[in-house]
Amino acid sequence: MKKTPLISFRLQDKLNYSFLSLIALLIIALLIVMITLLFREAYPAVEQFGWGFITDSYWDPAADEYGGLAFLFGTVVTASIAVFLAAPVSISIALFINEILPAKIGKVLGLFVEMIAAIPSIVFGLWGLFFLAPWVNTTLTPFLKSTLGFLPLFQGPSFGIGILTASMILGLMIIPTISSICKEVFKTIPAHQKEAALALGATRYEMLRLSVIGPSFSGIIGASALGLGRALGETMAVAMVIGNSPQITSSLFAPAATMASIIANEYAEADSELHISALCFVAVLLFFVTFIINFMARTIVWKNERRLKSRG
Amino acid sequence: MNSSFKFRKFKNIFFMSLFALSSLFVLIPLFLIFKYVFMMGATSLNFDFFTQLPMPVGEDGGGMKHAIWGTLTMVGIAASVAVPLGLFCGIYLSEFDKSPLANALRFCIDLLTGVPSIVIGIFAYILVVVPFKSFSALAGSFALGIIILPILTRSTEEILKLVPAHMKEAALALGMPRWKVIYYIVVRSNLSALITGMMLALSRAAGETAPLLFTAFGTRFLSFDLQSPMASLPVQIYTYAISPFDDWQRQAWAGAFVLIILVLGLNLLSRCLINYKAIIDFFKKGSP
Amino acid sequence: MNTNTETDLEVKNLHAWFGQFHAVKGISVVYPKQSINAIIGPSGCGKSTFIRCLNRIHEEVPGARSEGEIILKGVNINAPNIDPVSIRRQIGMVFQKPNPFPSLSIFENTIIGLKLQGVRQKAKLMEAAETCLRKAALWDEVKDKLHQQGTSLSGGQQQRLCIARALAVNPSVLLMDEPTSALDPIASAKIEDLMSDLKKEFTVVVVTHNMQQAARIADYTSFYILGEMIEHGLSSEIFTNPKVPQTEDYITGRFG
Repeated sequence: MKKTPLISFRLQDKLNYSFLSLIALLIIALLIVMITLLFREAYPAVEQFGWGFITDSYWDPAADEYGGLAFLFGTVVTASIAVFLAAPVSISIALFINEILPAKIGKVLGLFVEMIAAIPSIVFGLWGLFFLAPWVNTTLTPFLKSTLGFLPLFQGPSFGIGILTASMILGLMIIPTISSICKEVFKTIPAHQKEAALALGATRYEMLRLSVIGPSFSGIIGASALGLGRALGETMAVAMVIGNSPQITSSLFAPAATMASIIANEYAEADSELHISALCFVAVLLFFVTFIINFMARTIVWKNERRLKSRG
Repeated sequence: MNSSFKFRKFKNIFFMSLFALSSLFVLIPLFLIFKYVFMMGATSLNFDFFTQLPMPVGEDGGGMKHAIWGTLTMVGIAASVAVPLGLFCGIYLSEFDKSPLANALRFCIDLLTGVPSIVIGIFAYILVVVPFKSFSALAGSFALGIIILPILTRSTEEILKLVPAHMKEAALALGMPRWKVIYYIVVRSNLSALITGMMLALSRAAGETAPLLFTAFGTRFLSFDLQSPMASLPVQIYTYAISPFDDWQRQAWAGAFVLIILVLGLNLLSRCLINYKAIIDFFKKGSP
Repeated sequence: MNTNTETDLEVKNLHAWFGQFHAVKGISVVYPKQSINAIIGPSGCGKSTFIRCLNRIHEEVPGARSEGEIILKGVNINAPNIDPVSIRRQIGMVFQKPNPFPSLSIFENTIIGLKLQGVRQKAKLMEAAETCLRKAALWDEVKDKLHQQGTSLSGGQQQRLCIARALAVNPSVLLMDEPTSALDPIASAKIEDLMSDLKKEFTVVVVTHNMQQAARIADYTSFYILGEMIEHGLSSEIFTNPKVPQTEDYITGRFG
């Protein structure tokens, strides 16, 4: 009746475990190899330019002279403005869906927000290039110039394509990221804390400020930082609307270039060794910046979650 | 009713409307994007788009048959390797989450999730294009695979972690070895959710442009040779969009229309799959 | 009352730990064949841990281990060279919460154990499903909807489905870890009736929170405090004439 298996159950489990471990090791090894190769590829440029690469903005493939400051500038500025635009909207949407709308309507709105995340970035780029940029040029720019024109940010000629348009597209693209994490953060707030505020006679808004936004503040920061991480690495949509001109200006209407966009534009056509290496150096920088931002963001979100959970 | 209370009420209404208004900031652009893609895309779309190859530079007409096939081929090849790997990694992370190797793997997957797709393109370039000395579909598939892998691993881990411990104990108590508990009970009872995760990952990969720019590169011909460049829908859209020719820009919109249908279609279809069992049950109950 | 004196399962000096925590401290007990044996005691007294040692599911929890002898049909099954997987096919278990496998039908839930042991013939599986569902007093309620999801049943029916599922692998001992604590009184009563039937074929060890339940159905009852067995004997004696003062205190409700 009782038959003993050909291979003992323990051995079967061990085999399964070894198999899965092997795959895990394979993935880890692959990542290590890729990062090492990226560094090796970037090394000639590192050797040639050193720290000067980060402090110099002179980029001229024809002269084989490379400095990456302008791209660093473009990336940080566009991504920061994007988060600055997207964070308030995302937080409001998260609150609106979670706390105000009836569950069913909230779900539908949530689905729409998630749809933004599903749209390929090339489609954002196409739309940005043919519709948002002209609109910015003909409608938004004159408006900003007439109201806020005294600031250097809003001076200078406008072509539609430039930092402002890129930031707006980026902002739109990272709204789903920020709002979905905010929603999760708000969900960890126990209902009794909200009820406590309402029982004190707080209005809906006061309750939200007191028991939802207040306790999850660091979570909101973390969510925004994750959005920043996404914005930093976004390539196509930005490459199509930013104008790709490596310069540092104070005007938001001016074209610029980001680390991702310069790689997208020049990598396939780069033929000098140093040019490729310089682009790889840019990639290494981009990799590091996104890694650090993402790592910090995740730590913040995770700590916030633990803190809220332990309070119960 | 004193004035401070009135002010509080006013503030309440003010902020509530502000929250409601914020959703318009999302819905309006979303609506506009869809409106333009459908308007421009649907009018530009014709039968040639699916059946013809591109015409020589400057001539009107032609289609993106080669790019559609290219996208399908490369996503298919990427999926055939990355999907099993992603599933196994997810299973490993959810079932053996305390081991140091699992922590290392989780760190790597987190890291990979955050790597900008353009950098993944460079990875694939260095690892596949440089040794073979040619842009190739293989390199493109490799890059797309690295996009799919972390997304699928994360979703698999999250889904399988939701299986309560008592469910696994119940299976163990029936005298099953652990591996059977994992594959026959834990995985099987979540199959539809796992497939959803897989399709979401594939739809992400199908819409990626950046990692293909200098891996699969692009070509104007229909090609199934994995060692040579291959066109893809997103890259073709990009090339046409930044070209100065009206007819190419028209085709870029048609391409965007097809791409968005493909990606959103996959996305929505996979969401429906979650309820796949419910649909089947409905029909079963309906029939005598 | 049970008159069978033949030993089915014997435990000798069993200890169990969770990491540093000593949860079960040297328990020795004999379970006769075809009897119902209840384990009662206050929360955290180690009664669940104890029966989870019997089919060695305890050691699946990270950091948990056990020592001592568990003798089933003359063989020490707690020895390191014995494969726990094969033990669990001889000792079935029913859990506190009804937990049929989601996305499996009632039929599949019942025979999943056999199926994963390699039984493939449809007729054989069907026969086993019917037998076990009958034994679990569920057949009449589900025979027309065998292909619906197991989770579509009511809580009491789900628990009986879990019992059928455990019976299908043909065990000789059935462990039940508070099988009625998540159920309403009517569903509980059905499970109790069922247990009295099951004892004709199986040796049943049941952990329960409910002393009346133990008094009603168990032939033997053990009383645990803090991982130690304070008293063990015929239920009729434990509940009417406890020898140890702590047992009396617990039974009369003075603590616990």
